[in-house]
Amino acid sequence: MADELRNRLRDLRGERGLTQAALAELVGVSRKTINTVENGVFVPSTLLALKLARALGVPVEEIFSLDQ
Amino acid sequence: MSPMRYIVEGKVTSSDIETADRLSRRRARMIPVLAAIFLAGQAAYFSQDRAERLVDHVKIGAWLIWVLVLLVVLETGGGFIHSKKVRALINDEITRANRQRAYAIGFWTAMGVGIGTYVVAMFEPVTSREAIHLIVTAAIGGALLMFGLLERRAHRDG
Repeated sequence: MADELRNRLRDLRGERGLTQAALAELVGVSRKTINTVENGVFVPSTLLALKLARALGVPVEEIFSLDQ
Repeated sequence: MSPMRYIVEGKVTSSDIETADRLSRRRARMIPVLAAIFLAGQAAYFSQDRAERLVDHVKIGAWLIWVLVLLVVLETGGGFIHSKKVRALINDEITRANRQRAYAIGFWTAMGVGIGTYVVAMFEPVTSREAIHLIVTAAIGGALLMFGLLERRAHRDG
């Protein structure tokens, strides 16, 4: 059975008052990438996950978790 | 192709993000249209009786140019007049993932058309040039359509 990756990116971004474009700018990716990660359409690489965590100032596990 | 080619170097500005977003949306709209024009043109070519006339050689030459241009568009994502940073943004992770899926579709389309052509050649003569033309056209058309559709979906789902 395939594991589902859940993420709290939209919530964490919203809590910091960041738009998708602003987070994209901080991380150095396109807004489309932020969109698709938030919607679960795209599973980011480890590199991008770490960059997102650094930009939001949280451990990567706080953004991404496995669906139990 | 190394992903290092697409790593964004230096600080990305909001203007870079906006430009990349605009270009990426335009590309997502244009690529399926290009693929449809290409496939329609080749369907018209195969529906006509062909001979070794000058006009047929010109059509083959035009097809070859089409193929090369479409391969460059598919592999690089275009945007050559824009900065390296913007080009890296329009070819970031999601686009590279979509491109890989599109290449897989192109491969399986080529296999399907190749097998189909092989079967047809048992009953009707098919020249090697016709077979290559069919397989390459189907593979590029399939890959381009899939890439365009995935990119459109990525924008829409966002």
